[in-house]
Amino acid sequence: MGAEFLHTLVRFRGRILAWGLAMAALGLVVVPFYDVYVSQEEQMLQFIENYPPEFLAFFGGMTAINTPAGFLDSQLAMLPVILGIFAVLAGSALLADDEESGRLDLIMAHPVSRLSLFGGRLAAFVAATLAILTLCWLGFVLPLRGSSMDVSWGQMALPLLSTFAVVLVFGMIALLLSMLLSSRRKAAASAGGVMVAGFFLSGFANLNADLKPVARALPYEYFQGGFAINGLNVAWFIGLLAVSALFAALAAWLFQRRDIRVGGEGDAGWSRPRFLSKPRTEKLST
Amino acid sequence: MTAITTNKLSKSYGGVIALRGLDLDVHLGEIFGFLGPNGAGKTTTIRCLLDLIRSDSGTANVLGLDPQTDPVGVRARVGYLPGELHLEDNLTGRRILRYFSALRGRKLESDNVNVLAERLRLDLDQPVKNLSKGNKQKIGLVQAFLHQPELLLLDEPTSGLDPLVQQEVQGLIREAKAKGATVFFSSHVMSEVEAIAERVGIIREGTLVEVANTAALIDRAVHRVKVRFQSPVDTDVLERVPGLAVLSQDDLDGMTLQVEGDMDGLVKALAAYPVARIETTRASLEDVFLAYYQTDESPTEEE
Repeated sequence: MGAEFLHTLVRFRGRILAWGLAMAALGLVVVPFYDVYVSQEEQMLQFIENYPPEFLAFFGGMTAINTPAGFLDSQLAMLPVILGIFAVLAGSALLADDEESGRLDLIMAHPVSRLSLFGGRLAAFVAATLAILTLCWLGFVLPLRGSSMDVSWGQMALPLLSTFAVVLVFGMIALLLSMLLSSRRKAAASAGGVMVAGFFLSGFANLNADLKPVARALPYEYFQGGFAINGLNVAWFIGLLAVSALFAALAAWLFQRRDIRVGGEGDAGWSRPRFLSKPRTEKLST
Repeated sequence: MTAITTNKLSKSYGGVIALRGLDLDVHLGEIFGFLGPNGAGKTTTIRCLLDLIRSDSGTANVLGLDPQTDPVGVRARVGYLPGELHLEDNLTGRRILRYFSALRGRKLESDNVNVLAERLRLDLDQPVKNLSKGNKQKIGLVQAFLHQPELLLLDEPTSGLDPLVQQEVQGLIREAKAKGATVFFSSHVMSEVEAIAERVGIIREGTLVEVANTAALIDRAVHRVKVRFQSPVDTDVLERVPGLAVLSQDDLDGMTLQVEGDMDGLVKALAAYPVARIETTRASLEDVFLAYYQTDESPTEEE
């Protein structure tokens, strides 16, 4: 498991740097912008009041935008979706990419159990996500020294922890779907759909209370955003981690029971239950 | 004890049946050639033995272990070369071998790696994306042989290799056998199988249709004999000899015959004629193989 963890983490290094530095750059822009905002608060509030009320409602009203928590919340609203793209792509590819390209065949022929391989890769995915968020956190805390934003380094970690929990669910949905569906692309597209639907449903639920129950069934609803600096909702955080663990366990269970496909076998498609299938005698490329 | 035993092993992919109750025994320490055209079930058999895929029914035993209950135990003692080798493009051969060694819980044994790479004329420090198909195949071969496994499962081991390296691979297989390893390999190169396999199994549509000692199988095959007589002869008698068929009559004093099995009947029949010259063409494993696939029923099934 250790060898697989290290190998997979090394494969993640480029994405850790690219995503991490991009997220850090966001922090380097957002935090100094708070000072600009505070210095021109009246004009900014006037500017925001001119937005359509539906737009403001979609983003939760932006009522506390003149506080560090409210300001950060407005800036971090999209973070789980942006970083979710990484999670969905990486989660769906964690095993299925090597399988579709035919590489998993030879890897699995080595003395490593399926569970161990799965565990090593999953741990590397979690570590990579945390590494990206750590770089992101550095981007948010380094400009604090010269900023009027009264937020400690520890407080600044809390919205990112909330992001981590939501993003982890997206990644695990993608991983689980990659074990269920016949191709990585289908898994990524489906998980991405869940992610984007959650974002919009959560916003529209602010306009239409009837949508609230549906939004509550999706992970984005449990993203605290900037308000997490006032205290992490531990129940939400642990709940999201538990859902991730459940999806990961289901994915591991499926991975242990399925055939490893080889490159060139192609898309197996949806298979009918065996009792509905008529054995045929056509030759198969074996 | 056998190195590999399968008992009524069956596997289907959706509605496509790849293996139909395969019964196979591979002895410890032998080189076993597994023959069959594309889609016959060779790769499926090998992948079942490593628990990469699960059989629908039947059992398999590899080196005394059940691959489904102890896959890690089996894989620790097996070296495998897949039929379609895919490697990480951005890594060098050496990095890939280091990773595979780490999966075995070992450090890369540089001396052994360098010896194997030199024998196969492989540059291990090139990224895989810069390598030809043959050179990628060499990395696959090095990783299979590197840890000196008790059993080698090689799916088309010389695919994409030039003749000189093919010879070297045959040498590696013979050396592995000399050290006590069992080698189970599939190949489309009949001359190669004939050269190194002690026994061969022929699989057709998921069923083993023949298993025999390679030399004996060839001896049992159909031979072609060209006979030239000193003067024109009546061939009616020859056509009545069991196992003998007249394929063509070139002219009045020459003909081509097909002999099934041994030559005793032919030699005795020819004794009655004034023979000027006899030419026999030794059957090859390819002739035997094609015989199984050019008829609707295999010889075994006819029996």
